[in-house]
Amino acid sequence: MSVDAPPRRDERFPTDVEYRDLLDRRTRRARVFQVVSLLALTTGVVALATLIYTIVNDSFGWVAVVNAREPEEVVEDLGFDPAEVSLADIPYDDLVGLLQATVPTGVGRRLEREQRFYEDRLVFEATATWDALCASEGAPLGCTAPPRDHANLLALIQERVIVPDVIASYELVPSLLDPDGFTRRLEEGFAAGRFPDVDIDRVRIEWRNWFNPTFLRTPASSIPEIAGIRTAVLGSAWLVLITIGFAVPVGVGAAIYLVEYAKPSRLNSFIQTNIYNLAGVPSIVYGMLGLAILVRALEPVTSGAIFTAGPAPSDNGRTILSAGITLGLLTLPVVIISAQEALTAVPNSLRNAALGLGATRWQMVRSHVLPVAMPGILTGSILAVARAIGETAPLILVGAASFITVDPTGPFSKFTALPIQIFQWTSYPQEEFRNIAAAASLALLILLLLLNAGAVILRNRYIRKARW
Amino acid sequence: MVNPPFTRHTTEETMNESRTDTAPLVSTAAAEVVDAVMRIEDVDVYYGDFLAVKDVDLQFARHEITALIGPSGCGKSTVMRCLNRMNDLIPSARVEGKVYFNDRNIYDPDVDPVEVRRRVGMVFQRPNPFPKSIYENVAWGARINGFKGKRGEMDDLVERALTQAALWDEVKDKLHESGYSLSGGQQQRLCIARALAPDPEVLLMDEPASALDPIATLRIEELMLTLKEQYTIIIVTHNMQQAGRVSDRTAFFSVDVDERGQRTGKLVEFDFTDKLFTSPSEKETEDYITGRFG
Repeated sequence: MSVDAPPRRDERFPTDVEYRDLLDRRTRRARVFQVVSLLALTTGVVALATLIYTIVNDSFGWVAVVNAREPEEVVEDLGFDPAEVSLADIPYDDLVGLLQATVPTGVGRRLEREQRFYEDRLVFEATATWDALCASEGAPLGCTAPPRDHANLLALIQERVIVPDVIASYELVPSLLDPDGFTRRLEEGFAAGRFPDVDIDRVRIEWRNWFNPTFLRTPASSIPEIAGIRTAVLGSAWLVLITIGFAVPVGVGAAIYLVEYAKPSRLNSFIQTNIYNLAGVPSIVYGMLGLAILVRALEPVTSGAIFTAGPAPSDNGRTILSAGITLGLLTLPVVIISAQEALTAVPNSLRNAALGLGATRWQMVRSHVLPVAMPGILTGSILAVARAIGETAPLILVGAASFITVDPTGPFSKFTALPIQIFQWTSYPQEEFRNIAAAASLALLILLLLLNAGAVILRNRYIRKARW
Repeated sequence: MVNPPFTRHTTEETMNESRTDTAPLVSTAAAEVVDAVMRIEDVDVYYGDFLAVKDVDLQFARHEITALIGPSGCGKSTVMRCLNRMNDLIPSARVEGKVYFNDRNIYDPDVDPVEVRRRVGMVFQRPNPFPKSIYENVAWGARINGFKGKRGEMDDLVERALTQAALWDEVKDKLHESGYSLSGGQQQRLCIARALAPDPEVLLMDEPASALDPIATLRIEELMLTLKEQYTIIIVTHNMQQAGRVSDRTAFFSVDVDERGQRTGKLVEFDFTDKLFTSPSEKETEDYITGRFG
């Protein structure tokens, strides 16, 4: 080629100058879209941060408490030195005496029917009434349950004798930024006569972690200061187990069938479409399903009646098992879809290699496809289960107990769950319930984080196992 | 009638059997196969309503390498996949005609394709080791097929298969590393070792060297020449030089295009490789091997 030959140019492309202009415009447009996507991310992050802020802000802070009786007074009245002995150190018998002296006999009887104070004697009930009661059809829990322990009694004393009442609370962020603001606000409140029944000298200002170990360990109560989420956490934990136990095997099995065995047919594509549709069905509809099928139609199973010869573990189908399976059904389509996607992502060359060696389809799936698909299946399943654990609507329909203080002991127990507890607490008028609802939300978030962490750990184990 | 399971063919049987009943083939008078391990008779393969390959008759001689060559889309891979019923895995595929493996039609309804695939091993175009250790890659095929050796015997089997695949010396110190830690050529030899472990009689190789560099290709070809002492090898290849170098007999496939533009593969010529490459009987074959078409 000769040197001075003019460079060939296709006239349909822009000239160099035009091209540079065009390039500038393209770069600018690219930058705009980059900013837009960054904004989208920021919106998400800000929303999440606000959520966490609200929950944490309500879970900690200053409170103004007024006790009906001060613990020190109580200790002194019982003949101990309040300087040396705290309420928690007082012997069981003295506490029972205190309770006997404080609560009306009717209330005492009710407490005793819930759970006895002593194995061998009765405090509030007469022996004859008690025996008749225990022999009757609807014998109270106290007839069979073990007697109360010291911690339980102490909680009762708190609830019935000390009766702490939070008259005002101050959230975490203002508590940190303006520590004196609370006292100022209280004084203003007293000056304006907003606390007519309260003696200003009896007000104690305390720092309160609403989210504390005691909160996790104690069951619900109608008094927010001593209410806890023990029953709800245990209920939610049981639900997680049953939901996973139902949704994961069934969902993965269905996905294996659809991906590995099913031949393309009209029926199979109909099923496939409807799995996608089911994934979008509102959770309340699953609640209806659970109520109609599991609670009502399958009552002998869900109440545990067919598993025992004696009386059923539960007198109706509103049990953990019903709720767990309802949540499992709700989760199932999502588990199937994510498992299908994980299975489809396994390269076909792996299937050919296994089948070409004379493996049956199951040997191929079991040894090669499943191990490779496992990380994806686990991630999808656990995310779906985590979603379900926060569901409230289906649990309300299936009949989560609104107030229950007895730990769930198995799949046939009555139960409550964290979202239910939160929902109820937020609907009460007293302001302190808002604080414990926030603390319970924090517990729910932590439960979900633990689940997700579990998923990540399992996934990494499987990723290491497959040796690409 | 209950069919006996496939049994490994012995030399003795070969001598006692007469093969006069084999059907005449297309332009193969000179290349009549006396001792065929596998025979394809009147096979048509459909994908749905579409006829992909029509009317194939082929015989594969024991302890020989038979190459299937031809332009893209001529159905040579499709024909090969009939030999171990891998076409069954494509939902719309349908095979008509008969494919005999040691005188048993593997498309008989009472034949389990799993058993066929155990006897007729396969090596694929792209190396596809399992994401497991080298040892496990080889041992798995034997184990699922009921190999009842003790631990030490399995080790011997793995060593033998890897030695046969000319890979043992390179991997003997890292048997428990991933199959994917090997180079492409080594991976393909690992796949050959894996295919040999369940003790097959026939080895199908679907363009086994097309994803490899020339040196790795050469090693695979040398390997095939050694392996044919013990196995019958059928290879699909795009590379005519490769067919010329390794194969004893060659089948040339081509494509018919009908008036609607549908392309149907057909067998044009089947003969000894030397004969087919030097003096083909068919014009189409000659055009292809001299590079005038395809």
